[in-house]
Amino acid sequence: MAHADTTVAKPAILAEVKPASLPRAELVENNRSFAWVTDKICGIIEGKTPTWWWVCFTLACALASFTVMGIVYLVSAGVGVWGLANPVNWGWAIVNFVFWIGIGHAGTLISAILCLLRQKWRTSINRAAEAMTIFAVVCAGIFPVFHVGRVWFAWFLFPIPNANGIWQNFRSPLEWDVFAVSTYGTVSVLFWYVGLIPDLAVLRDRFNRAGNKLRATLYGIFAMGWRGSNRNWSNYEMAYLILAGVSTPLVLSVHTIVSFDFAISLLPGWHTTIFPPYFVAGAIFSGFGMVLTLMLPLRAIYKMEDLITQYHIDCMCKIVLATGTIVGYAYGMEFFIAWYGANPYEGFAFINRAFGNYAWAYWIMIACNVITPQFFWFKKVRQNTAFVWVLSIFVNVGMWFERFVITVTSLARDFLPSSWGYYSPTIVDIMTFFGTFGVFSVLFLLFIRFLPVMPMAEIKAVMPQADPHAGHDHH
Amino acid sequence: MAAQSYGLVATFDSAPAIYEAAKKVRDAGYKHWDCITPFPIHGLDGAMGLKRSIVPRFSLVGGLCGFSVGMGLIYFTSAIDYPLIVGGKPFFSPLYAFPVAYELTILFTAFATIFGMFFTNRLPMHYHPVLKLDRIADAQDDKFLIVIESRDPKFNAAHTQALLEAAGGKAIAEIEA
Amino acid sequence: MSTHAATASSSLPAETAAPAGASKALVVGIVGILLTAAGLFVPGNGKVIALTWLVGLSFWVAIAIGMLLLVMIHHIFDASWSVVLRRQFEHGLSAFKWLGLLFVPLLVATWVKPGSVWKWTNLDYQLHGHGTVGEDILYVKKAAFLNPTMLTVMTVAFFGLWMFLSARLRKASFTQDTDGDIKWTFHNRVTAAAGLFFTALTLTAASIYWIKSLEYHWFSTMYGVWFFANCARGALAIGVLVLLWLYARGDLKGILNTNHMHSVGQLVFAFTVFWAYISFSQYFLIWGANIPEETFWYNLREINADGFANQWKWVGMALLFGHFLFPFLYLLSYKNKIIHSRIKFIVICILATILLDMCYNILPALKDAHGDAKPFLSLNLLWVATSVIGIGGVCVWSYLRSFATTKLIPIRDPRIGECLTHHE
Repeated sequence: MAHADTTVAKPAILAEVKPASLPRAELVENNRSFAWVTDKICGIIEGKTPTWWWVCFTLACALASFTVMGIVYLVSAGVGVWGLANPVNWGWAIVNFVFWIGIGHAGTLISAILCLLRQKWRTSINRAAEAMTIFAVVCAGIFPVFHVGRVWFAWFLFPIPNANGIWQNFRSPLEWDVFAVSTYGTVSVLFWYVGLIPDLAVLRDRFNRAGNKLRATLYGIFAMGWRGSNRNWSNYEMAYLILAGVSTPLVLSVHTIVSFDFAISLLPGWHTTIFPPYFVAGAIFSGFGMVLTLMLPLRAIYKMEDLITQYHIDCMCKIVLATGTIVGYAYGMEFFIAWYGANPYEGFAFINRAFGNYAWAYWIMIACNVITPQFFWFKKVRQNTAFVWVLSIFVNVGMWFERFVITVTSLARDFLPSSWGYYSPTIVDIMTFFGTFGVFSVLFLLFIRFLPVMPMAEIKAVMPQADPHAGHDHH
Repeated sequence: MAAQSYGLVATFDSAPAIYEAAKKVRDAGYKHWDCITPFPIHGLDGAMGLKRSIVPRFSLVGGLCGFSVGMGLIYFTSAIDYPLIVGGKPFFSPLYAFPVAYELTILFTAFATIFGMFFTNRLPMHYHPVLKLDRIADAQDDKFLIVIESRDPKFNAAHTQALLEAAGGKAIAEIEA
Repeated sequence: MSTHAATASSSLPAETAAPAGASKALVVGIVGILLTAAGLFVPGNGKVIALTWLVGLSFWVAIAIGMLLLVMIHHIFDASWSVVLRRQFEHGLSAFKWLGLLFVPLLVATWVKPGSVWKWTNLDYQLHGHGTVGEDILYVKKAAFLNPTMLTVMTVAFFGLWMFLSARLRKASFTQDTDGDIKWTFHNRVTAAAGLFFTALTLTAASIYWIKSLEYHWFSTMYGVWFFANCARGALAIGVLVLLWLYARGDLKGILNTNHMHSVGQLVFAFTVFWAYISFSQYFLIWGANIPEETFWYNLREINADGFANQWKWVGMALLFGHFLFPFLYLLSYKNKIIHSRIKFIVICILATILLDMCYNILPALKDAHGDAKPFLSLNLLWVATSVIGIGGVCVWSYLRSFATTKLIPIRDPRIGECLTHHE
């Protein structure tokens, strides 16, 4: 309540205040109790592993083995097994890297930015989204690490003296990437872990009560002795807020630095000042697509409709729509300024994208990124979860193609026609990439089996029963 | 009880209940006491009379260190130890050094914040009398506890019990140390 | 409604106070405008007056656009804490028609004396060391976009759209005060959803036409986003000043609380970081690629043809430290956001540096015989001051007139209850 001036009489206008009725959506539907929330989420961990989980896990492991095989082959035979060659020296590897990092950004957005914006609906999806971020960063990291060729020298990227005798090149955006992605991975893990502590304590105490000492100890170690003390909550909430406050500029900077990989150069189609916010918007766009792809089936399988409500799905769809539109604005600006700037190479780059030898990729990108999000204007579409799920897949397909179009078209046909070429991925490229979906799935399946898929404490905190003033008469 | 007990514990069933009770305990002048809740209750810090957390101070120190380390590292390596001309760019410019320094700022801020949180919370503390209570699982679930330690100068077994009862506490019991 | 004089509705003080304050503002405004016009009588001063007028206009138009955007963002987010602030922005939106009117002199100058504001409006304008605009291939390629007809049509369209959106948002909000019908909230959401899209496009186009084209060889895809950043910052800064003014008058006592100031302070902080991000990205990418076709714009603002640093370099530094670093560090502190005198200080700083940013972007179009930008510290700043005060006076007059016509706060808004009890 306002504590500003208790001595001054309240302004008379307050007597006239009579808000029109527009109740806010319930974040947890069907009047659930705290105990229901705890049982629902812990039940997944405490129960037996369902058959579908084993089936998915086996398939995921099989798929992940493609990446393992691809990488082993790459390291033993050399980088020539990939399709990279003059003039396209950056191919699928960097596209896949940017793709996975972009997906990861939605997790941090949901955890950090929506926290700062006080969007309470984030609570049922932020834990899974943060896990998605960490696993996406793992998948993303595979590519820059292994694309160096002699992987055993990959540590040369870090600012420590090495056999080359010179220091790292800090003027290079690829070096900045090292710092950005490492920081991003580290901070994401820390943020995710800090969020887990109270929930791990819940599991520890439940297992203790159920007599399962082994699991109680395992969870208990990581719970750090958390006991729910409000003095602890006070520091915890402050730390959480600061981590959210620091993760926000982090996530913006990581994809900005990734965009610098391209924009710092002078290639037409790459060197354009709007890349940083354009990449960030695109990352959020693809990330939310992935969140929808993961959460909608999870919601159906575990019957979480009361926790991930239609309101949650609506919000996520609207964010996809908004960020997709921002990406569309960036496409428009790039195209317009290519014309306005009257640089013939820049102009050619854009004509070539739409009508050159990669036109097929360009139009897939436009269809998926500009057209598909527009469906989300319609309430009927947002309420059809199967359709939303299909659209979310298109969003990610589109964003992969966007990175492909940006990377490959500018390299394949740059300033000198005599250097033009056409790039195709090899089977090793393809298998390594599709295998990363397996790696991601393995990690995500392990997560949902062993860790609380939603933050119980945060969800409870936004339920109406959590309000200490409930039952008192106030506006 | 053979040894002196750690203190008294009372259970409350709802957030408003513990909120009001906390105010009573605070107003009675207790200092060594705590509320155990499954989630942070809005406004409970004020009801307990707690001051704002000092974790931000750790964060600020971390951030400043991170930025200095970043800029310093690049300045030393690129302008002093082994200067190389790359792309016609100056040996050191705060512009190109900014991305790395910025990331290190964030990294160090995050480390400092988490360290600060653990430090101010005295965690990890895997052993604590409260964790031995049977009702702790409920306190992490949907119940709320107030714990008043016996080392508090105002602690008196009878009076403290009466205060907790008057505040609406249920199942008031001693906690073994 | 109470009938006692002592507890008279707080819409009453506004009705009696506004007209007096409003006419004072109008007088100040007209005096400022006349003083600026007087500058035209100084021989050879035409372009100076035109560009300083453009600085003043860009400053206030940016603030108005920022208010428009923030109102629409509020509706899209179904926000609650900003309901009271939103009402004050709605009053600010009434200024668009006057800003449009005040833009007319620039259009008239373009038609009557081509090349007096934007050099590409005159095909025979002599470019320093090149030839004429009409012979310049870099102009010819975009002549379909950059010509006086398109400029006029587009400017009319921009103001038309902004006035249309403002009118719709104001009408819905003000009418809801009387009938409390929830349909006005949905009406606003529709306006906001479509409006944000078109406002983004028009503000980008406006920044290109009015400001970026002053140096039409130069281009940057980020420019519209830069302009947006200043729009949001300006609107928030004025919003803070208005809220504090109303609180000091007593109108908002018991309504505006510490948490509102914290929330708006956090937004000011966020957009400070955003502006820095955008401006840094634009500068850094151009610096990194080091292509002369792009770097010349920044070089104009750093060194003269003789290789020595010019005054604009220090203006740039002032922007870095004054528009970003200082407000950033200042606004990290909780106290600095909630103590009225402290947050007032920083938003005034921010408004000053927004003006500085507009000068940085616009005034170097004034060149001397060598093709160097004329120095920042000169008599031209006098005309900047008179323009800002003149146009500002008119905007304040418009705000106060609108203020007197409605309730202080949106009493029937569905989120007013949450706003009044805003807690962290």
